[in-house]
Amino acid sequence: MIESWLTFAAGRTAELWVRTGEHLVLTGLSTAGAILLGVPLGVLASKVRTIRNPLMGTVGIFQTIPSLAMLAILLALTKQIGIVPAIIALTLYALLPIVRNTLTGIEQVPPSSLEAARGLGMTLWQTLILVEVPLALPMIIAGVRTAAVVGVGIATLSAFIGAGGLGEFINRGLALSNTQLILLGAIPAALLALIVDGSIGAFQWAVQRRHGRSPLEAIVRWVVRPAALVLPLIISGIGVYAALASRQENADDVVRIASKSFTEQLILGEIVAQTIEHHTDRTVERRFNLGGTMICHEALIAGEVDIYPEYVGTALTAILQLDGTRSAGDALETVRNTYTERFGCIWFDPLGFENTYVLALRKEVALREQLTTISGLASVSNSMRAGFPSEFMERPDGYPGLRRTYGLSFANVRDLDPALMYQALVSGELDVISAFSTDGRIEAYDLALLKDDRSFFPPYQAALVVREDLIAEMPELGPLLRRLTGMIDTETMQQMNYQVDHHQHSPREVARQFLESMGLVKENG
Amino acid sequence: MISYRNVAKTFLPAGPPVLSDITFQVETGETVALLGTSGSGKTTLLRLTNRLVDVDAGSIEVDGVSVMDQDPIELRRRIGYVFQGIGLFPHMDIRSNVSIVLRLLGRSASEQQKRSDELLMMVGMPPDEFSGRYPHELSGGQQQRVGVARALAADPEFLLMDEPFGALDAITRDTLQQELLSLKQKLQKTIVFVTHDIFEALTIGDRIAVLNDGRLDQIGTKQEIIRSPATQFVKDLFGRPRAQLEAIDA
Repeated sequence: MIESWLTFAAGRTAELWVRTGEHLVLTGLSTAGAILLGVPLGVLASKVRTIRNPLMGTVGIFQTIPSLAMLAILLALTKQIGIVPAIIALTLYALLPIVRNTLTGIEQVPPSSLEAARGLGMTLWQTLILVEVPLALPMIIAGVRTAAVVGVGIATLSAFIGAGGLGEFINRGLALSNTQLILLGAIPAALLALIVDGSIGAFQWAVQRRHGRSPLEAIVRWVVRPAALVLPLIISGIGVYAALASRQENADDVVRIASKSFTEQLILGEIVAQTIEHHTDRTVERRFNLGGTMICHEALIAGEVDIYPEYVGTALTAILQLDGTRSAGDALETVRNTYTERFGCIWFDPLGFENTYVLALRKEVALREQLTTISGLASVSNSMRAGFPSEFMERPDGYPGLRRTYGLSFANVRDLDPALMYQALVSGELDVISAFSTDGRIEAYDLALLKDDRSFFPPYQAALVVREDLIAEMPELGPLLRRLTGMIDTETMQQMNYQVDHHQHSPREVARQFLESMGLVKENG
Repeated sequence: MISYRNVAKTFLPAGPPVLSDITFQVETGETVALLGTSGSGKTTLLRLTNRLVDVDAGSIEVDGVSVMDQDPIELRRRIGYVFQGIGLFPHMDIRSNVSIVLRLLGRSASEQQKRSDELLMMVGMPPDEFSGRYPHELSGGQQQRVGVARALAADPEFLLMDEPFGALDAITRDTLQQELLSLKQKLQKTIVFVTHDIFEALTIGDRIAVLNDGRLDQIGTKQEIIRSPATQFVKDLFGRPRAQLEAIDA
């Protein structure tokens, strides 16, 4: 097991280094930002009583904002994805320990030292710089240490907004249910946290004011002190360089394709990317695995990405907040018109399949109870145990609406991770789950699906959403992308998902095979 | 010369005065011991002198200029201060502690070092051994010597000392008192020395000012005070130790 993982990791060392570098840049820059902002704020809080509580409250609130929500808000504010909003988010998260420790450190300065500072004729500023901050320094460094170590952990979330880092492996692993990939992100991140903790600990030791009696200790201290100061500078340097380098990539002929972070989206993203790469000279930038519908959408309308695959029903209910109960044609028409007017984005014709919510049961249960429709399920639901993913539990077009429409009352409803949900159904711990109709596991586990006989679920045809500006700049992309219209039926999508989820093929490979089999790209071309 | 004229101070609004109607002068080169029980206002009088707090009424003149007309920061740098709690900076080594006022005055690093070495030598702490140490590595008596050296760094004309030897054991205190006497002889500073210890006042002070509940009961040489105490309080104050000594002898 360990050996096979090491082999797996060895094949990805190049990317591992890049991701580790990005991770250090994210953590380093955000911690540096939090120091520059947090120490003065802590000092201010210690000096100005009236702002103390409001300030500490605000800084505390940042910590309670869920990370995905924070990223979505920052994306909306900065109109950017990538390193900028990620670093702002991480900086805000790192503020609390630094501000609080600065405040505590300054308040713990002995009154005798303050009295002496005044009595010897120090100005307020001199007292601060020569006495209070140096005496609070061990406490401040302890706060920085906490912030940096926690920051290494939180920085894994930056991948959701396309900022890279070790979270990239974790997200990809989670989307593809690939444990080896998850570990490839998680293990280095844990090691990094230990290293960061250790080096700040060493710095803390080196700045301790003590009369160095052993010459060795003095030499070590002499080395550690500047090293700990220079290291963040180097990291910041790399960060600035990386930011500049990535800016150059945003040249004119680059097409930026996004996807959400689950298998089907990654495959669709690859299909679009490879089609464009094969037929044009344009450079394709893959900004996959973004953290959900809102982040993809915000990135699109901010002009940070050009194309991503979306579902009509999701756009209708989650993005536009409209009622979802309408015909497929009407739904697409509504979404299409609204997007053109409000966002300057085009909905292409659907790709051919629908990825709707379905309720699934083990086949023998469906046969025993003679169930084919959700209406039928309603009459026996009080003896059934259900399990749904948390998003389905919350969405108006999910369980809350479904229950009302059909009058369902399950014996027990549990909130579960999708991967666990299938396991629980197959092993008999659950009787009903909600699934995506294109999920390969439906066929793999031979599940029975119930018909939505009251048309509760909105139509969920998949289609590409594209910025109008892109088509204006690169008119050849319009006809090219239209060639994908209607090419992917539900069964094909299910099979492709199954190839990735179950057989661990890469989305790139599966997309390639699909395009070749459809004659959309030439073999070995 | 430091002169106090009708000085009064109250901390709480409408509260009892901490000091009222204090008038006396400290002549140039003279040491006045401010003697009083705790709460008598002696530390407050010291703090008024370099404007750590400001007077409510009356005036204090240092070198003939009212302290209220002087910039408090500059005033404090001109007056050496030895603190009750010593107040060495725990994050600075001994050399930096001694030369801190010179640093505030913008003197060069080499001058700071030279002066710090001189002063440490003067207070009996060889700089080679002590310069690089930190306050917590010194004994209480050593720390207080550094406190005195720090107060003398800018060669101030005036020195305010607030029970500098209060927390030390009797033998160390005695040694430091003797050293202070010889320093005083050598340096000819104008010193206000706060103490609650009668013997310390008798040892250090050229004159003794007895403060009683915010009022100046008497100021005079030791002979004057012992022979003709101005109030019952002063009489009791100096009578009690004499009575104790006689009791031990008998």
